Amino acid sequence: MTKRKEFDQGLEQLHNLLVEMGGFVEEALVEAMEALKVIDIDRAKIVIKKDPLLNQMEEKITEIGSRLIATQQPVAKDLRRILSAFKIASDLERMGDLAVDVAKVVLRLEGQELIKPLIDLPRMAEIVQMMTYESIQSFVQENVDLAYKMAKDDDQVDALYGQITRELFSLMMENPRNIAQASLLSFVGRYMERFGDHATNIGESVVYLVTGNRPDLNQ
Amino acid sequence: MEALININKLNLFYGTFHALKNVSLTIPEKAITAFIGPSGCGKSTLLRTLNRMNDMIPGTRIEGGIAIGGTEIYSNEVDVETLRKKVGMVFQQPNPFPKSIYDNVAYGPRLHGVTSKKALDEIVETSLKSAALWDEVKDHLKRSAFGISGGQQQRLCIARALAVNPDILLMDEATSALDPISTLKIEELAQELKDKYTIVMVTHNMHQAARVSNQTVFFLNGEVIEYSDTEKLFSNPTDQRTEDYISGRFG
Repeated sequence: MTKRKEFDQGLEQLHNLLVEMGGFVEEALVEAMEALKVIDIDRAKIVIKKDPLLNQMEEKITEIGSRLIATQQPVAKDLRRILSAFKIASDLERMGDLAVDVAKVVLRLEGQELIKPLIDLPRMAEIVQMMTYESIQSFVQENVDLAYKMAKDDDQVDALYGQITRELFSLMMENPRNIAQASLLSFVGRYMERFGDHATNIGESVVYLVTGNRPDLNQ
Repeated sequence: MEALININKLNLFYGTFHALKNVSLTIPEKAITAFIGPSGCGKSTLLRTLNRMNDMIPGTRIEGGIAIGGTEIYSNEVDVETLRKKVGMVFQQPNPFPKSIYDNVAYGPRLHGVTSKKALDEIVETSLKSAALWDEVKDHLKRSAFGISGGQQQRLCIARALAVNPDILLMDEATSALDPISTLKIEELAQELKDKYTIVMVTHNMHQAARVSNQTVFFLNGEVIEYSDTEKLFSNPTDQRTEDYISGRFG
């Protein structure tokens, strides 16, 4: 029935690249957070070193998507699929950068003892990792319900972020020598919170892909 | 926008073949409406009912009605010649008469009784200007219409249709025999003409429908599957069959 071999192959390539980027970003997040927990410099450096691969995948998506638009004149859901791929790839690329930001914090903490054992930051990381996984799953399955469910988890991330900053502020007030490290750790909280927002953006792109409407899940 | 053309439960048979099935459509005036669909879906048949071109095909039977500006065009009182003056048509192949450029445009007005040279000169100039052809041919109006390019011939046919002051212009695959530049010129021309005329076009080129029209009707097997604003139909169609067709999954 279908007469669009080349077009469908192109769309499949986009799909596979996005799934690959999703897996890459999840791993970068986990590795960066593991490195932070024990200030493992080597592990952090690997995260930083691998990031250009993610950028290359995003560029590849732009390249394939542009080619499909130029040569296949996509309409309706085909067009939304390509537009969503651009947007999702851009979100995933930013998520990769945020994992790198966490890894850079690890490098700046080289040789220091942590002022407190990390509990809530790894919890945030676990939730945003799950959100990332679910956002990619919602894309793979074109599952709007999953996209909405995933976006709800962002509330927990925001709550944890508030809690972490309060805790770190009190540590700074207790002892000014904590300020440098506590600031860095609160940045990590901010990075995780942004990470979750990008996962929510992916959910929005999935809803747009499936329904043609753009919801605001970041509320 | 006023609903200029009202098609009401139209059924058309070629002998035993049921070519149009219960088609009801309201086509607004001073806008471009495009009919799309795979070959044999009935889009050209419907276009041809709008100026009764199907009357000439033996064995054609029509049920239901078409009203243009409130007048039922299949009633016995309607004079087909008058109808076709009001509803002009441009075909796939440019079909100028074997006459001069001037005489092609003046043909209709002369037929309808205009004899004054001054009046004819004026009509020819206005029509050629409206068809965006005047500047290219004004210096050799007496030359044969066969001496100009296919794209120019098609614009000449449009000028010829405009010369009798129609309300509606039907375009049946009017650019499919033309090169891309000539196609673009006709598309731009259609955009200009829609301020004064109601245009209904049949096209196999979906992207042309997407570029040019205000509304699009998608036909399949003699039925209207979807009719909506062109932007909506090409960005988020309601019916899966429309989506499949415009995405090139069949047809």
